[in-house]
Amino acid sequence: MKILIIEDEPALAKSIGAYLADENYLCEFAANFGQAIDKVSVYDYDCILLDLMLPGGDGLKILEEIKQQHKQDGVIIISAKNSLDDKIKGLQIGADDYLTKPFHLPELAARIYSVIRRKQFGNVNIIELNELKINLLAKSVTVNDQPVVLTKKEFDLLLYFISNKNKVISKSALAEHLSGDVADMFDSYDFIYVHIKNLKKKLTEAGCDNYLKTLYGTGYKWEI
Amino acid sequence: MSKLLNRTMKRFMVYAGIVLVLSIPVYYYMINLLWRHELNEHHIELTAAAGREDRYLIIGIVTGLTMLFFLLLMIGFILLNRRISRRLWQPFHKSLAHIRNFNLDQQQPVVFEHTDIEEFSELNKSLEKLIAGNITVYNQQKEFADNASHELQTPLAIIQSKLDLLLQTKVLTNEQYDLIEEANKALARVTRINKNLLLLTKIENSQFMDRETIDLSGLLKSTLQIFSVFSENKQLLLQTDIAPGVTIEGNKILIEILLNNLITNAIRYTPADNTIEIVLTDQCLHIANPGTTSLQQEQVFKRFGSTSSDTPGTGLGLSLVQQICNRYQWRSAYEFANERHVFSVRF
Repeated sequence: MKILIIEDEPALAKSIGAYLADENYLCEFAANFGQAIDKVSVYDYDCILLDLMLPGGDGLKILEEIKQQHKQDGVIIISAKNSLDDKIKGLQIGADDYLTKPFHLPELAARIYSVIRRKQFGNVNIIELNELKINLLAKSVTVNDQPVVLTKKEFDLLLYFISNKNKVISKSALAEHLSGDVADMFDSYDFIYVHIKNLKKKLTEAGCDNYLKTLYGTGYKWEI
Repeated sequence: MSKLLNRTMKRFMVYAGIVLVLSIPVYYYMINLLWRHELNEHHIELTAAAGREDRYLIIGIVTGLTMLFFLLLMIGFILLNRRISRRLWQPFHKSLAHIRNFNLDQQQPVVFEHTDIEEFSELNKSLEKLIAGNITVYNQQKEFADNASHELQTPLAIIQSKLDLLLQTKVLTNEQYDLIEEANKALARVTRINKNLLLLTKIENSQFMDRETIDLSGLLKSTLQIFSVFSENKQLLLQTDIAPGVTIEGNKILIEILLNNLITNAIRYTPADNTIEIVLTDQCLHIANPGTTSLQQEQVFKRFGSTSSDTPGTGLGLSLVQQICNRYQWRSAYEFANERHVFSVRF
């Protein structure tokens, strides 16, 4: 899986690259408009992370170029501009997702995972992990072919963990993922514990190995 | 309120009236004198009865004539005044119409028509200068909002990503993890403050112009639904009395922010096991939560007015509420009554 990171801030590009490196992702970088256009026109990528404010030109132009060449690359805009106009414009031109800086790297990984999944699997959209089987379209989960009923939040959490396999996820990243802007207005992370506890319990009761580890008392990790 | 020209007109009329009324005895005296002189010259004698009769006749005619002239003067004044005012103030009314149609958002510079009246020409010149200045400042502010967003959020994004990477380090101790989480929390707060400040600037710049009709009852219900996770978590009872079908005109994003901030506030500052009252009527939204002491009235809606180190808020939430209310000429208010903090928005 090839990912192109178009980001002019080297420190941020490096972090994203480092976080994504251990999955099967191969990351390439472009730090300005010219480089980005060159790479995009010559190679195909599974997913492109696109910063909108670039030296040498507007990132939206790159997106237009990709769409003009009828490329199938998934595109996620990562921008500091949190303006609705840009979001709508980006999504209209054909971006698959829009993430506002600053973001948690696990959140980015989850979005990339979801974009690639949508592009690659088409209609058959099933993730298999040993005894665990997740049907993404039907939003159903089975363990050893026995159905497990999860709430929407629990299902969402499970996918978040799976798209960040073997990575430590902090509770602040989880809180933001679960309820976006609303979560960080409250100090309490209690509601995360509840969802995680329920997810863990439902999976182990159905006979699933305990992949979801609690680390350092409060962080979590899906180990496989 | 009266028109400028009418105001001077009134004075003129009063003056003309006084002069005419005062002229009545003068006329009478002069005519009487003249009349007697003529009688004497021609040696005509009048009986006392005839003399009295003539006096009344003269008084009557003099008064009637004076009144007639007064009426003529008045009609003339009014007609002339109308014509003068229409012609004289035409450039002024045109400039006024231009200013009325001017909208800072649309960025069209105002061009006033040429006038050969010096005062108006000067007024127009000053107005043009003022408006051009405003447009420049507006653009600068807008640019600042965008730039600040980019300049601040990029370093924040770097810090966030480095913290996330640090968390992946193999040999972290509990203490180190806690340190990272503390940094994460502070970072989340800075991010929120930055976001809200930008939002405030944008509202003050009137960047959310589009208006639509919003079903406030529905929006309030769905907002409460979203927040129910948090209120249940604190065992709070949300006691609602929402009139159905209340609609308002406004920008949806702003109205959502308004509701979110008021509800978040109520939930955040209410101790567990308590009741929050939410009432929506045609004219008013009203949220009350229990409290022990009154907040400082004049500080409540100010930026960073109520921030303290032990609250997780940004200190900008209520300031945003007030800005949004100002934008739509609604009235936001806070009062402390019966051991309750009551926030209300009157549409």
